[in-house]
Amino acid sequence: MKRKGSNTSSSPIIEVDGLCKKFGRRQILNGIDLRVFPGDFLTIFGSNGAGKTTLLKILSTLVLPSSGTVEIGGFDIKEDSNGVRSQIGLISHNSYLYPDLTAYENLRFYGKMFAVPRLENRITELLELVELEHRKFDLVRTFSCGMQQRLSIARALLHDSPIFFLDEPYSGLDVHASEILDRVLTNLKNENHTFLLTTHDLIKGIEVCTRVAILNNGVISYEAPKGEIDPAHFPDVYKKCIEVD
Amino acid sequence: MDYLKKVFAIVEKDIISELRTKELFTSMLVFVLLTLVIFNFAFGQDTQADMVDLASGILWVAFLFASILGLNRSFVHEKDEGCMDGLMLCPVDRSAIYIAKVIGNLIFISIVELITVPIFVLFFIKDAAGINFLFFALIIFLSNLGISAIGTLLSAISINTRARDLMMPILFFPVIVPVLISAVKSSSVILVASNPITDVYAWLQVLVVYDMIFLLISYLTFEYILEE
Repeated sequence: MKRKGSNTSSSPIIEVDGLCKKFGRRQILNGIDLRVFPGDFLTIFGSNGAGKTTLLKILSTLVLPSSGTVEIGGFDIKEDSNGVRSQIGLISHNSYLYPDLTAYENLRFYGKMFAVPRLENRITELLELVELEHRKFDLVRTFSCGMQQRLSIARALLHDSPIFFLDEPYSGLDVHASEILDRVLTNLKNENHTFLLTTHDLIKGIEVCTRVAILNNGVISYEAPKGEIDPAHFPDVYKKCIEVD
Repeated sequence: MDYLKKVFAIVEKDIISELRTKELFTSMLVFVLLTLVIFNFAFGQDTQADMVDLASGILWVAFLFASILGLNRSFVHEKDEGCMDGLMLCPVDRSAIYIAKVIGNLIFISIVELITVPIFVLFFIKDAAGINFLFFALIIFLSNLGISAIGTLLSAISINTRARDLMMPILFFPVIVPVLISAVKSSSVILVASNPITDVYAWLQVLVVYDMIFLLISYLTFEYILEE
């Protein structure tokens, strides 16, 4: 029997079974089954309205599923949502930062909420990583979009979670911020973290992943390991998957 | 202990934000001051002991409408800045978010009242010497607690509705009536020095019971209110 909150490298760290989500009469997700193993980098592609963000919101405990089960890091999202939250970091196009607080105050607030040990050191370390230590005491309101995204990366890394959800993380990033995100992701991949990325960017999505899935009309219509994909022909495969429905 | 640390982290964050913007505080303070000044002009300087009922009514209507301004913003701010999801991603019981917001609202309303009550006494109470201000402070605290407890819950409910600025007062005023009546009645007793203090006890009991009921209901149901 699997212990609550436990995971071995052979068992999936994310397990999704028959996941459905309805908003009113609209069926957004229609029976998603997914297994992600520790160290995996799964990229999910899909057109607008395919359900990518809804899927990530359910996995992040922000939205409740209509039916189906989801276990993350051994925690069930309905029964132990706080357990799930402590296991995940979310980087999204929304920064989740308070504009009237400084960069330091934002990280300190989230650090306290996640009960991060040695918080002061961790904040300094992360601000250096995203190259914002010189703006530590400036209000987030005064930051450019790219700088806010960089700080948002630091926010998501604060509690050193084993799993990262990336919802269109490159959208709105300038070249410098993209390079920082790439560097951070490479470091985390080397440390065997698990990733689930949703994006429209086929080239970037394939470049970083170990596995690819295509979400269309609320179901996973294609899934393959990176080794089986020919990047040159993948856009045709993607179009075919989207056009079928 | 961890729960309380997270509660106070949210309170601290809200206070720092408010100190920077002074958005809620200024609007609440100006509203109460304007109301008191306007009524002072309307009634002149001849406010007698038999007008204390009216004066305490003016005071609590001013406090209540000012509170609405603050309560309405307590979640709107989080939602508009896109931070609500950030807060929801934290591994913390939803009740901690509720308790923190109640404490924050209580602090903001109390500071406004701390400034405006002396002005109210100056304007409307002729014989302030014998008033039991300790009891008056207790009445204000219990009423504020009720206003914050109910207002925070309803603010969270109305945040996801389309007409949220309209929805909040529509939901709030009918529910707050018992608190308002108790606050007005007990204030009008306490603001006349010759009235026996025992006349306030019944109203204080109503306030305590109402506060406890709403705090408990909100504490237990807040998780379901915040979902989606």
